Amino acid sequence: MKRLPEFAPGADTWPEELSRRQFLELAGGTLALAGLAGCNRQPEKFIVPYVDPPPRELTGGPVFYATAMPWEGYGRGLLARANSGRPTKLEGNPSHPDSLGATDAVTQAGVLSLYDPDRSQAPRRGGEPSNWETFQDEWLARHRELDARGGEGFALLTEPTTSPALLRAIGRLLQRFPRAKWYQHTALFRYDQAGLQEDYDFARADVILGIDADFLLQHPAALRYARAFAGRRRLEKGRADSNRLYMLEATPTISGSMADHRLAVSPRRQRELLAALAAALNHQPLPGDLSAEESRVLRALAADLDASRGRALCIAGPQCDEDIRRWAQALNGRLGAGGATVHFLPAVRSDGDGRAAGGLADLRAALERHEVDLLVVAGSNPVYTAPADLEFAAAIPLARRQIHVGPYVDETAALCEWHLPESHFLEAWGDLRAFDGTVSIVQPLIAPLYQTRSALEYLDFLAYPPGQSGYDLVRATWQEKGGSAAGFEGKWEQWLQAGVMAGTANPPRPGPAARGPLPDLDAAGPESGLSVVLRPDPTVSDGRWSNCPWLQELPKPLSHLVWDNAAFVAPALAAREGWLDGDVLALDAGHGAVEASVRTLPGQAPDCIAVHLGYGRTAAGSVGNGHGFDAYRLRLRDRPWENGAVRIQRLGKQYGLVSTQRHFEMEGREIVKVEEVARVNRGDLPPPAPPHDSLYPPVAYNAHKWGMLIDLASCIGCQACVAACQAENNIPVVGRDQCAREREMHWIRVDTYYEGDAAHPRILHQPVPCQQCENAPCELVCPVAATVHSSEGLNDMVYNRCVGTRFCSNNCPYKVRRFNFLNFQFAEGSPYYLQKNPEVTVRSRGVMEKCTYCVQRIDDGRIAAERENRPLRDGEIRTACQQVCPAEAIVFGDLNDPAARVRARKAEPTHYGLLDDLNTRPRTTYLARLLNPAPEA
Amino acid sequence: MSPLPKEEPLIGPGESLERIDATISRVPFFHPAPRFWWINFAVGFVLVMLLMVGVSWLFIKGVGIWGINIPVAWSWAITNFVWWIGIGHAGTFISAILLLLHQNWRTSINRMTEAMTLFAVACAAMFPLLHLGRPQYFYWLIPYPDTMRLWPQWRSPLVWDVFAVSTYGLVSLIFWYIGLLPDLAALRDRAATLPKRRTYGILALGWRGDQRHWRHYEKVYLMLAGLATPLVVSVHSVVSMDFAVGILPGWHSTIFPPYFVAGAIFSGFAMVLTLVVPIRAVYGLKHYITDRHLELMCYVLMATGWVVTYGYFSEYFTAWMSGDRFERYMAMNRIAGPYGVYFWLVLFCNVVVPQTLWWRKLRRAGWYLFFASLLVNLGMWLERFVIVAVSLHRDFVPSAWGMYYPTRWDWAILVGSLGLFLSLMFLFLRFLPAISMTEMKRMFATGEQTR
Repeated sequence: MKRLPEFAPGADTWPEELSRRQFLELAGGTLALAGLAGCNRQPEKFIVPYVDPPPRELTGGPVFYATAMPWEGYGRGLLARANSGRPTKLEGNPSHPDSLGATDAVTQAGVLSLYDPDRSQAPRRGGEPSNWETFQDEWLARHRELDARGGEGFALLTEPTTSPALLRAIGRLLQRFPRAKWYQHTALFRYDQAGLQEDYDFARADVILGIDADFLLQHPAALRYARAFAGRRRLEKGRADSNRLYMLEATPTISGSMADHRLAVSPRRQRELLAALAAALNHQPLPGDLSAEESRVLRALAADLDASRGRALCIAGPQCDEDIRRWAQALNGRLGAGGATVHFLPAVRSDGDGRAAGGLADLRAALERHEVDLLVVAGSNPVYTAPADLEFAAAIPLARRQIHVGPYVDETAALCEWHLPESHFLEAWGDLRAFDGTVSIVQPLIAPLYQTRSALEYLDFLAYPPGQSGYDLVRATWQEKGGSAAGFEGKWEQWLQAGVMAGTANPPRPGPAARGPLPDLDAAGPESGLSVVLRPDPTVSDGRWSNCPWLQELPKPLSHLVWDNAAFVAPALAAREGWLDGDVLALDAGHGAVEASVRTLPGQAPDCIAVHLGYGRTAAGSVGNGHGFDAYRLRLRDRPWENGAVRIQRLGKQYGLVSTQRHFEMEGREIVKVEEVARVNRGDLPPPAPPHDSLYPPVAYNAHKWGMLIDLASCIGCQACVAACQAENNIPVVGRDQCAREREMHWIRVDTYYEGDAAHPRILHQPVPCQQCENAPCELVCPVAATVHSSEGLNDMVYNRCVGTRFCSNNCPYKVRRFNFLNFQFAEGSPYYLQKNPEVTVRSRGVMEKCTYCVQRIDDGRIAAERENRPLRDGEIRTACQQVCPAEAIVFGDLNDPAARVRARKAEPTHYGLLDDLNTRPRTTYLARLLNPAPEA
Repeated sequence: MSPLPKEEPLIGPGESLERIDATISRVPFFHPAPRFWWINFAVGFVLVMLLMVGVSWLFIKGVGIWGINIPVAWSWAITNFVWWIGIGHAGTFISAILLLLHQNWRTSINRMTEAMTLFAVACAAMFPLLHLGRPQYFYWLIPYPDTMRLWPQWRSPLVWDVFAVSTYGLVSLIFWYIGLLPDLAALRDRAATLPKRRTYGILALGWRGDQRHWRHYEKVYLMLAGLATPLVVSVHSVVSMDFAVGILPGWHSTIFPPYFVAGAIFSGFAMVLTLVVPIRAVYGLKHYITDRHLELMCYVLMATGWVVTYGYFSEYFTAWMSGDRFERYMAMNRIAGPYGVYFWLVLFCNVVVPQTLWWRKLRRAGWYLFFASLLVNLGMWLERFVIVAVSLHRDFVPSAWGMYYPTRWDWAILVGSLGLFLSLMFLFLRFLPAISMTEMKRMFATGEQTR
């Protein structure tokens, strides 16, 4: 990995006036310090030896704390693990409604960002390192002036948030400075309309129509939705009460990949198809310009919707145009979805807060009118994320002074007079609401690593210097809201322990009365050529995770691209234009051209190009800088998610994109088995094949016999398991260049296959960890017995013994083994090491590694059971990939336990082992992917 | 095929016992054609330095400096290993098997080919060590009493390799050295200066040409020949099991042992031709290594070439016949996949080129044989590459398929190993008799050269 900077920020600046005397002083000091550095680094304060340690700290075992992580301002409840006081892993909080015990991939990376060496570590003034005292002194003077003018000229820009404490602090600030203005900006979606949020009930929906809706990933409640959705795809006791998902989408998403009928159509074409659907629903003939596939699907959809009133659901993605969303609402009204499959909740995020003076455009206008004397940007990076036509970077200097509050010295910080470093959520007190309003207290697991404060503390300081601590501010918020002070301590402790405040979920409200006919949809705008659709990146989002190496190297669902974004084009379009993968296109929307590399993606709509935001950063940090292109250059204020006026020109250049999977066809092999729900429910499946014979006597596994089942019918392909495995098992990041050499290290991969017609392919996912074969081909060929079979059937890897012949990988038919071709660990002394799981060996160069079924968790469970003198309970031991999975697609357990869920799951009729014919007898097996196509279609 | 030309002698006209000694020992004593020697040695030496750089960087950074990856975790290092070991087969085949078969023509070339074997085995033995992720622990493959009571894992063919290659190397060395003893003594006796006399004298281990010496010598030589004979077959059989034991399509094949052994002798004879043709011309040894020798070697080349061709045929026939989807895909992928050009090159070099040797004129044309043997060497190297890497790059699960591209370090080590071979070969030519004077004289004296 990259080297850390040798010198702290500012250490390389030569003092302006260096006299001979000063030089000698410095030189002498350096000499003395160099001598000191030879000794141990002792803390400055008086220290006390650890004579009576609290019992659980003595064992060095992990301690879990309930907390929450912001996800676009909404709260995701967590149980954060700390080892010896270091946060090392984030798990979902089972009692949090938007987690239910699961997390997504981004949340997994939350813990790594705490230790990011590029985090801002001290205040900066005019780009130079400064300190908190200087800022404080300066602010006290400024504060008096502001106070005198009632805050005239004070503009605050934040991201919309759900945090009651933060909103209280903003309210108090606006109280103190009544003439101050508060603006909000996010480059991402708004999930509310007219003060209401739609909340979907996938458990009740039999027929779902998605319009560019990635509800399984890109939604505050995505984890809850994924759980419910997958629940309706799961085979139980040989039967599946499956829903049916229709999806119209411009660019493939994981939600679309789960569809039974999916049409890859651009936003413009979506309008036409929806109009056709309206016609079909009204029993009118379909327009003639539909393709055979389109009319087949629309007819089936109309029939299905008609037949499923009260059990049908239409979801328009948050990036859809206003009229499409209204149309979807009207359709839901007509289908009787309101109160059944759609609930309306009051908006919890502050997007519609009446106290706010508007968005980024309003701020820009105010700046231009020279109404802003002091601009405070807290927790947002508008210089990078503003639409190109807003030219926000040019507007920042229009404020006389600027203060930036953020975790990084980012693009915005570079233009501000002051930059104040913000704490990580694992270092600071706060609170957040879930999508349904449930409150979680964000409790820190560690004192700030650097001289940082939270945005909450900064805002309080700005209004009421010297300000209160975050802890006091959060408590004050809830003391105010909780009414009586009596019993507060007890409640507070309860909140902290549980991670959620019971009874704070909002009850559903009556929705808008949408009983009328479906509104007419205008034919889309004037553009007729290729449009460019913009989407948040599935891993780095709007760019906020750019500097996280795990997320950069996490294969993006469907494309498996790493470290870059691309211009995704349909194979048909690429063939028509003569574009090949890797050809560089200049995309120009009139605000500076960007150079995007072409990547053909089956299932992409042929009349638009999809690009992801979050790349092309210049001030993200040493990990995030210089990857991909800045898609914000193509983004316009009015229609942020699609731009029909982009000039596209093929340059003669090539830029090779890197993806961890290169071949997306199954070549007629039975890798992912697919079954139709109707056939399974009829019991039409052939009986399972008898096990293959062997010349060797069978091995008895008398104690435990670990096994895993992966349900491909439930798996949504979100890659959370990959990220969780990386966090749990100290898996290194190898960088773009090594990924290009096919040396990525993930122990579990989620394969994607595209089957059938490239325009409307069937998209299949398959997580592949080590199959823990009973007849393991790898064990046979290792010359030094570095990979051996345990008495419980695990295929163990003995790192110490490995000499690195790599024969095991060659002989592994699943290619799940990973080799340390070089030293892939972080540079020595990197703070990233603090994240390492102490239960898992950090592997050195030249050794093979692979999935262990989280053997450290198995041992933990076994030890706990032995201490309590009881047998292990089923479900007590959960692998990292199983625990994180929002779809509950992974089940792990003891195959010797007759009551084990994994055994019951393996008895389902669609059960199969990957490459069964090789007689490897894998312990990891699969349930076939289920499809539920409409009978008529 | 024309009948063996019995009338053509194996030693040129006008030779005498004295002349044989003088001509052969002229090379180590008087260093004739120094320019030829120096140029070749210099090239070899520069390449050895390149090898040193490559190996140093390898030890500093790790095997990641090569182009290997997952799925292609073995590539050039293993290809080079199998190729060099194969080349090393000709020497022992000529010395031992042809000795037991009373093929007198082996006498003129056995010394040089034994040396070639030694040096090829040295080059080969380097690669299994270099390719390890943690080469410092190579000795864990050797059974030795260690405190953790750990043994190698005997089911792994890599452990068999250790024994096969080290036995082969050792037996070849002893065989070569024992054969050298009378010649070293002859050099000692002919040497003009004291240091040379002393050096050769020490190396000759006190050989005085005593009758008892000769009796022991003959017995040991014959016994070693008997010992070395099964090794010729076993070594490459074991090496082939590195692949045949695997379950990978393209590796998992029962024909591999005979196919590899034939391939080894094939490539070994090609390398002998590559070396012998220029050396006999430059050092004036055409009386001892005659055109008839070349022709006889061509016969071996053609015969083993056909066995190799049968191996190719059998692989594709089995893939088709088995009906196994993976085997069939592997076969098609070799023929028409991204590395298809190498497959066709292999066929050209190893199947088509030997067929030109049906023409007697070409069998006796040194310059032609030099280039043809180079092509066979290339073909055999590519054949091993196709087996090792092309089988790996697309195996069972398509999502894991990948490509292999060599890096400059892959090249450095391959070319460097050629340099090592070249340097050692020329050092041998410079200081030791390239043809066995003893055996040549005996053949001359007993009149066996016309058989």
